[in-house]
Amino acid sequence: MSQREKPQQDVFPLRVLDYVTQALNVAGSVLILLLMVLVGLDVAGRNLLASPISGVPELVTLSIVAIVFLQIPAALRQGRMTRSEAFPSWLHRAAPGLGKTLATLFDLVAMALIWVIVRSTWSILPRAWERDEFIGAIGDFTAPVWPVKLILVVCGSALILLFGARIWRRFTR
Amino acid sequence: MTAFDIGLISLAAMCLAVSAGMFVPIALMACSFVGVWAIKGSPELASKLLALAANDAISSYFFGVVPLFVLMGFVVSEAGFGRDAFDVANAAFRRMRGGLAVGTVGANAIFAAITGISIASAAVFTKIAVPQMIRHGYTPRFATGLVAGSSVLGMLIPPSLLLILFGILAEQSIGDLFIAGIVPGLLLAVFFSLGIVVMATLFPGFVGQPQGQGEPRETPAILLAKAAPITGLIILVLGGIYAGVFTPVEAGAMGAIGALGLGFAMGRLSLKSLWTVLVETGLVTATVCFLIIAAQMYSRMLALSGVPAGLGSFATEAELGLWGILLIYCAIVIAMGMILDSSSIMLILVPLMLPVIIPMQVDLVWFGIVTVLAVEIGLLTPPFGLSVYIIKATLDDPNISLGDIFRGAAPFALIMVLVLALVLIFPPLATGLL
Repeated sequence: MSQREKPQQDVFPLRVLDYVTQALNVAGSVLILLLMVLVGLDVAGRNLLASPISGVPELVTLSIVAIVFLQIPAALRQGRMTRSEAFPSWLHRAAPGLGKTLATLFDLVAMALIWVIVRSTWSILPRAWERDEFIGAIGDFTAPVWPVKLILVVCGSALILLFGARIWRRFTR
Repeated sequence: MTAFDIGLISLAAMCLAVSAGMFVPIALMACSFVGVWAIKGSPELASKLLALAANDAISSYFFGVVPLFVLMGFVVSEAGFGRDAFDVANAAFRRMRGGLAVGTVGANAIFAAITGISIASAAVFTKIAVPQMIRHGYTPRFATGLVAGSSVLGMLIPPSLLLILFGILAEQSIGDLFIAGIVPGLLLAVFFSLGIVVMATLFPGFVGQPQGQGEPRETPAILLAKAAPITGLIILVLGGIYAGVFTPVEAGAMGAIGALGLGFAMGRLSLKSLWTVLVETGLVTATVCFLIIAAQMYSRMLALSGVPAGLGSFATEAELGLWGILLIYCAIVIAMGMILDSSSIMLILVPLMLPVIIPMQVDLVWFGIVTVLAVEIGLLTPPFGLSVYIIKATLDDPNISLGDIFRGAAPFALIMVLVLALVLIFPPLATGLL
């Protein structure tokens, strides 16, 4: 599955990128645990104390987007992103040069697409901030949406760099 | 070129890119981006569609609980409840021919009632059941194939992440879907067990020469002690849902909390193992949800192209009838299962199929069970059988090749086709309990 490279073989910026990836991963994992506790408290509050915690569905809704984008760089780094291996591994044996070229082409496409997403999200971020966009109902519970959009921008950028790092690693060893 | 043509071309391009080894979510995003650009003639609009989907496609309460179901599955396995289920089921089938294999199926069925994902079952039983079966004279091929085959029970017997996903896509009650999965799931377990006994008798070369397991090592008291926590968890999860204490969507969190509590109380979990489980949960969640985001982009593009509606009118005009459509549908699902994983197939195909079959007065709960059964067959078929890959990765034994596991799983895939046919012919198997 994942080809485990030793960090010290990498150049400094790539090591930093790996640390950032790991930090995002940790944040995402903690968020999952908080989510579990939150849903548990809501169920307990509703059934035992007849007082549900307001805003749990909204918080769950917001945090899932954050969780996914916090973890997807780590998933890519550890070779967990879904793909069909049959043809690439055949091509890698039959024509290694062509295999590398195709894989690089695919990585470039990925970088371009994630950049499109990051750029468009970046352009709506100030609006979400200024207009104080929220989800929930006023008077009961509201949560701002900008932190999630910011996470998407940060993690998307990390993802672009990680795709770039794949290309770098492919041609430097 | 009409929008419809563009939609069809993008379908072909997507299949090509995925087979060529592009990351599946990236291939889906690329096809949606180019597709919308070609249909609407505006790259600006296409990038807005991508960004919008990235921001809101999974931003719902239902998707929010995906990580909690994954967490529940991993906590339950980390706490060793899979081994307990295996020991208990094994004690029950000890005297039978092929008893260890039947016990593995039974353990999977029990385990399925406390997890909602197949991958947890596949990983756990590869570690527990495969070495023990090989030690007792089963062939590695049969042992791994059996674990691959019975891991699909995890998605059919509630709680089930795939049924939740279908419920969201088709706007059906998840509670109903869960109930509808029970009988087909148990039927599949029974057919697997019958198949094992038949194969052990008729094809000893394939199964191996299972030796007797000698006298039971565990006293009834020990077995009872092992069965109690699992029974407690099943009662907590399923009982909680149907007593109305919490919703099926919340069941993942409650199951995870219950398993964590039991695991820590019984001294089977440590903070370190909890952390491992959390990180693993995050990675699986991210992979699945990223795929869901990409598939949503793709289905929005397809909707713009009019392909789903076109397919619908094509199906009505061709007068294939319900049976023709369902058979073609199952064939496509199984074929896609060869290259894609379960959730992607459902996310791509179900929105395409709903406009076709809703006018035909089909019970969508039944259709959901049919879909999940057909999708899960794909988990066992090469070249991309997810369960088989997980077993291979968990096993880490160079002597057992992917091909061996696929061959071992083949009879179980055939049995699944049989059960799928039964559910198609007798819908009450799924909807009878409702």
